[in-house]
Amino acid sequence: MLAEVLTQVALVIGILLPISVLVFIGRERLVRTRAEWRDRLRTNAPVIAVLLVVLLINRVARQTAPELSRKVGVHLTATFYNVEGEFILLFKSVETPELTAYFASVYVFGYTFLLIFPVIAYFMLSDTRTFRRLLAAYALNYAIGLVLYILIIAYGPRNVMPAELTERMLYDTNPQYQYLTREVNANTNVFPSLHTSLSATVAAFASMTRSAYPKWFPIAVVLAASVAISTMYLGIHWGIDVAAGLVLAAACVVLSDKLVGRWSLSDLFGDRFEGLSDRLPRLRREE
Amino acid sequence: MNGGPAAPNRTGPSDGGPSISRRSALAAAAGLTVSTSGCIRQVRDILMPNNIQQLSLTITTLPADSDRQSIRLSRELADVFETVGINVSFDIRSPVDFHRTVLYDHEFDVWIAEHPGGTDPDFLYEALHSVYTDESGWQNPFGYTNLTVDDSLETQRQLEGEKRREAVTDVLEQVAIEQPFVPICIPDQHRAVRTDRFDWDERALATPQGYLGVDPAPDVSTLRATHTDSRPTSNLNPLAVDYRGEDPFVDLLYDSPATETADGEIEPWFARSWEWDAGTIDVRLRTDCPFHDGEPMTAEDVAFTYRFLANMRLDDAEAAAPAPRYRGLVEAVDSVEVVHRDRVELRIDAGRPVGERALLVPILPAHVWRERAGGANGPGGATIAQETAEAVATENVPPIGSGPFQFAERTEGEGLTLERFDGHFTLRSDVDLPAPTVDELTVRVDPPGAAAQRVVDDTADVTTSPLEANVVAGVDQSGSTRVLESPSWSFYCLGFNARDAPFSNPRFRRVIAQLIDKEWLVDEVFRGHARPVATPVTEEWVPESLEWNGTDPETPFLGTDGEVDEAAVESAFETAGFRYDERGRLRVRQ
Repeated sequence: MLAEVLTQVALVIGILLPISVLVFIGRERLVRTRAEWRDRLRTNAPVIAVLLVVLLINRVARQTAPELSRKVGVHLTATFYNVEGEFILLFKSVETPELTAYFASVYVFGYTFLLIFPVIAYFMLSDTRTFRRLLAAYALNYAIGLVLYILIIAYGPRNVMPAELTERMLYDTNPQYQYLTREVNANTNVFPSLHTSLSATVAAFASMTRSAYPKWFPIAVVLAASVAISTMYLGIHWGIDVAAGLVLAAACVVLSDKLVGRWSLSDLFGDRFEGLSDRLPRLRREE
Repeated sequence: MNGGPAAPNRTGPSDGGPSISRRSALAAAAGLTVSTSGCIRQVRDILMPNNIQQLSLTITTLPADSDRQSIRLSRELADVFETVGINVSFDIRSPVDFHRTVLYDHEFDVWIAEHPGGTDPDFLYEALHSVYTDESGWQNPFGYTNLTVDDSLETQRQLEGEKRREAVTDVLEQVAIEQPFVPICIPDQHRAVRTDRFDWDERALATPQGYLGVDPAPDVSTLRATHTDSRPTSNLNPLAVDYRGEDPFVDLLYDSPATETADGEIEPWFARSWEWDAGTIDVRLRTDCPFHDGEPMTAEDVAFTYRFLANMRLDDAEAAAPAPRYRGLVEAVDSVEVVHRDRVELRIDAGRPVGERALLVPILPAHVWRERAGGANGPGGATIAQETAEAVATENVPPIGSGPFQFAERTEGEGLTLERFDGHFTLRSDVDLPAPTVDELTVRVDPPGAAAQRVVDDTADVTTSPLEANVVAGVDQSGSTRVLESPSWSFYCLGFNARDAPFSNPRFRRVIAQLIDKEWLVDEVFRGHARPVATPVTEEWVPESLEWNGTDPETPFLGTDGEVDEAAVESAFETAGFRYDERGRLRVRQ
């Protein structure tokens, strides 16, 4: 079943990406990237490595984190439920099968697309800083999220109010998606909503780059908002998780600005990169 | 102020001093409530003018992913409790965590979940005898202590036939009056199976034997199970209470001297036969049976198992650490003697029906488990925390048993593969017992919502976890998929922590029991796939006085159709000695 879902996701993304590259990025940038991609890759290598390391740690932690979490974590399901009660049942009044289908596909496909497309789009920019910031922000989201997941043990609304949510619970209507999400997350990892924080991060970047990609900006905002709402509509996250996701996104966007370009490779590795750094303004920042 | 037990005059809402959390109030009160002499009570009243306050109780239960019915029962009951002036909060924990919290740490007010129950009512001895209040495991997690009930529980163990039935009736009636836990219902056990690949025995599926002796269709060599609980992929230790749920896998990996049928009959297994003679069981074992690692399984291993389960520290008799599982069964065994390589003699302190149940424990290979003795000794000396013993804490992978299936591989959280153990005695031509009929038994962990569909899609042959009540009716039976119903004896219940006030008070517990509309909950939460019960035993043991007659004969619901009659509840609590304030909050001394 996992293979089936993965194929579906790959297929949808495989169709969406080339179309969006043509629509949002344009030929001119593609041509320039073709000429410069080696240099850009070299500049971006450290931050790509950092992101990969964070993702790898995330992956490994999936095995060890539950036991650690059991020892140091705080149980907050009841607290969340006490604070916001049946807030997310608000969506019950607008519930329709069409809306459920929309939010389910946004949650799985829209989200994946939202995360992957900016990586390509910002790689196409001659100024590599945006790309590096985006990847740094992703890494921060995952890293901080992982720490919070270990410290806070909480089940989402679907685990507390199954009967009220049954018509639109993602895993009741589309049980196959649970094979995908359990690859990524344990069911006690709800605070904060990483779906929300990563989507909001992408929307924030889309806003910063709207002069370069004017058409992408509204799409990103609508998609990001849909993802955030979908997590509540589908009963996966509490309103509190989504709020925390927005705060996390803001923090990661700000931090990425502070961190990226702070350490220069030429400082770290001597003049081996000298020739390269001539062409790259960011490496001279400290000078 | 005379410091009378009820002290009703100070219960108004106007006493707005600092509120004390329940735990700290409990901790502070613990030292003082030992003696209830008037003098001390007065001192306490001065020190803690606020110790009578609205009753807050926490319901400890499982998330919907693990047990949809438990969380639904909990929320329905929380609504009722709130209506009658009780402040309710939840503590929702994963199965492993839930069992550690309730069975090891005893950190709960009330819990709502499924109790494993038993085919024989003797499981109540383990569940309620007061000598077990300080132990870890399914032995008296309630902390319930009552010498009269202890006495009745002991009496039924010694008897047989009609006399035992009468003694059991005594136990059940006393327990129904006392309500140390409130049995709610016994859920039906439904499983989706593929009938084109295997010939299933509906009744046998209630026990691990149901997966043996199943005739496969030609060319079928793998039995594909779908399971909704991932715990067996993490841990295969027969003694780990926190990891053992309703899975048959560990029982298929280990042999026991005898097995139990769905009807509660004890039948020979590794024991060829036995003779019962006035408190002694003379057991003849099968010969030339190896463990999965090739070592021979002999009477020494059987004797070791009983000694080990009675004390996981073996030689250290001063600080015995009994195993947290099989406690009630092993309790009956006074001593074990190896008479011969294939013969052991058990001295039993119980009548035959209970005594023979001692033969149901899994046989642990001495050469593996002897090394696991101890570990309970912390650096600071002896501790009686059984759960920290190496033998309980180990995940036991790969497991070395002697059962009809042996461990092949596992992927944590995803699946488990067992393969037929060719050295098993059931495969011998002269043994007429259900044997493994497939080369391989594969287990895949699936979400509860997807399990039945995998059988319909022909990617699985059986849902080893019973189906959730809400999916039973929706299973597509047009093809070769069928839904089978097996006998069941596990029951949903609300368990009290009788160590703490007010749950220690049977009058209080009885009123709580009357807030539970079992009949309505069975319709609402279980969609009718359960039967409401007043006593937690199989139908053949239910005495006439406790038969379900449309309502609970002992603690009838105070209301109709799930709606409580608030006035009736208020007066019931007041009759029981509790008070309400003018804002309708139930006030108790906690």
